[in-house]
Amino acid sequence: MSTDMENQTVIDAHNLSKVYNPDTIPVNAVNGVHLHLERGEFTALVGPSGSGKTTLLNMIGGLDQPTTGKVIINGTDITALPPNALIDFRLHNIGFVFQAFNLIPVLTARENIEFIMLLQKIPAEERSRRVAELLLAVGLPNKADARPAQLSGGQQQRVAVARALASKPQFILADEPTANLDSHSASTLLDIMEKLNTDEHMTFLFSTHDQRVIDRARRVITLVDGSIASDTAPAGLRHS
Amino acid sequence: MLFQIAWRNLWRNRFRSLLIALSVAIGMWAGAFIMAIYFGMGNGRLRIAIDREVSHIQVHHPGFSEDQDPKFHFDTDSVAQVLREQPAIKSFALRSITSGMLATASGSRGVQINGISPAAEQSTRQLGDFLTAGEYLDTATQHRIFIGASLADKMKLGVGQKVVLTFLDTSAAITSGAFRVCGLYKSFNTPLDERNVFVLKTDLDRMLGLQHRAHEAAILLQHDDDLDTAFYSISEQLPGLKVEKWQDISPETSLVVSSLDTYTIIYIVIILIALAFGIINTMLMAVLERTREIGVLMAVGMNRLRIFSMIMLETIMLTLAGAPVGLLVAWICVEWLGRTGIDLSGVAGDVMQDFGYASVIYPVLPLGSVLKTIWLVLLSAVLSAIFPALKALNLKPVEAIRA
Repeated sequence: MSTDMENQTVIDAHNLSKVYNPDTIPVNAVNGVHLHLERGEFTALVGPSGSGKTTLLNMIGGLDQPTTGKVIINGTDITALPPNALIDFRLHNIGFVFQAFNLIPVLTARENIEFIMLLQKIPAEERSRRVAELLLAVGLPNKADARPAQLSGGQQQRVAVARALASKPQFILADEPTANLDSHSASTLLDIMEKLNTDEHMTFLFSTHDQRVIDRARRVITLVDGSIASDTAPAGLRHS
Repeated sequence: MLFQIAWRNLWRNRFRSLLIALSVAIGMWAGAFIMAIYFGMGNGRLRIAIDREVSHIQVHHPGFSEDQDPKFHFDTDSVAQVLREQPAIKSFALRSITSGMLATASGSRGVQINGISPAAEQSTRQLGDFLTAGEYLDTATQHRIFIGASLADKMKLGVGQKVVLTFLDTSAAITSGAFRVCGLYKSFNTPLDERNVFVLKTDLDRMLGLQHRAHEAAILLQHDDDLDTAFYSISEQLPGLKVEKWQDISPETSLVVSSLDTYTIIYIVIILIALAFGIINTMLMAVLERTREIGVLMAVGMNRLRIFSMIMLETIMLTLAGAPVGLLVAWICVEWLGRTGIDLSGVAGDVMQDFGYASVIYPVLPLGSVLKTIWLVLLSAVLSAIFPALKALNLKPVEAIRA
């Protein structure tokens, strides 16, 4: 997968820090993290609970503001964007997969995926075609009209992946995507994400505790107490 | 899809939404029904005032309007000639009027003595229909008097008994005459019944020293809508006389009619304020229950305007789910009771008539007021939505997702 596209920088985080309660009892959740992700990476962010994985992921995803440092996505410093521009940026550039699936319960699988494209004002015909493609990609073409409550956890997470892909993002941030899944569902989900990464060079950054995810990642970054303790080379599992 | 999401969200907690929709429906029904009763009362008062008391238009000598002195009269022949030529006029009555004293063996009382032509009075305000005892005035029998039943009661008078009327004639000389009570009447206005007595115009004119003269012309029109046209036409043709519309003659009725809209809107606003708190509470609960979901929507790229719109839509839908039902039920009630009437005589006794209102109310729901109510409902829905919507906007996605 050594192409020009692959060498394109997608995420560039400089000296990221996050301090909670700076005025009372400061808690350093993330300390001076530098992170660089190229297009097509399949990276796992690991570390013990409280190590700052989710905080780092939230800052990279523009959901949380760093105390210091900046996040540059595809050349745009998202930490400098005003709130509405940041929401718009997320819509067009970042896909999210959450631990608790977080699908909209009143919408069907098809509508959950289509909703993102509606926000992007994509024409109906293209929406419809893309929803069908995505449902096929995540192996749920026959569940289009099912509501989240009618789907298993694994199926819901697959719809969530399809939803994350619907906006054709630069990369997908997945926060503990397999934490609530049984091993078969987790394996199926990872197969799908791996295939999307291989076939479409979709960049994935996971925060995870799950060894099954770590085993499949081509790069593993370990966070300890908010700092990067180790980072494997993109080419293989070379722990530093 | 915002509509779709808002509508489906509304029914996630069916019981709660139905309860609020039901309270909106009941509130709307109550508001619209109270409005219909008020308009019915107002309409009833208006019809009594025009059809049974003052007519649409009255003509007087300008001096008579000032101090009711019988010396201020006008020529009946020329006025009658003008009125007969007006196509909009249904009927008119010429009256001689003076104030005087009604005396019996047991006491006396100040009254307004109306000299009338029984037939003209019947066609203008159906005076004879108010008869409760004895008989109506008859041109063939002189020196008879038609008095209110309540006055008769207070003066301990009965049909066939004699009274003496004493008053000043046009030359300010005291004159008096004996009249026999021919009949008693009871109109829709008890205070007026106690003040007005009726005798033949020919009898009163003779005692006042008048010939072919009158103090008042009461004019009933074919249609209410002809009022302005007829008023200007009559005013133009009777330049020396004072022509007045019913609004000027009976300002209290005019005030009642003109303030109906204001009063009913105040009632509706009070009801809507009460409902708004229920709606705000429900929508706040809905927003708090869906904190995580709203956080996800923000995270995936739903901007603040859309979040705000979604909560607004839900609130408006919640309100509109109940309001039409309430208005429909109110309309059905009004249609039914508008035919049968609501008889308050058993509840309010003669109190209604003491204030010039009919004791049977026929509710009416004017379209204009219903439209105003619908606008107010929509406005209250939008205002009720603002607080919950702002609450949703203030959520931070990163915190909301963790909720």
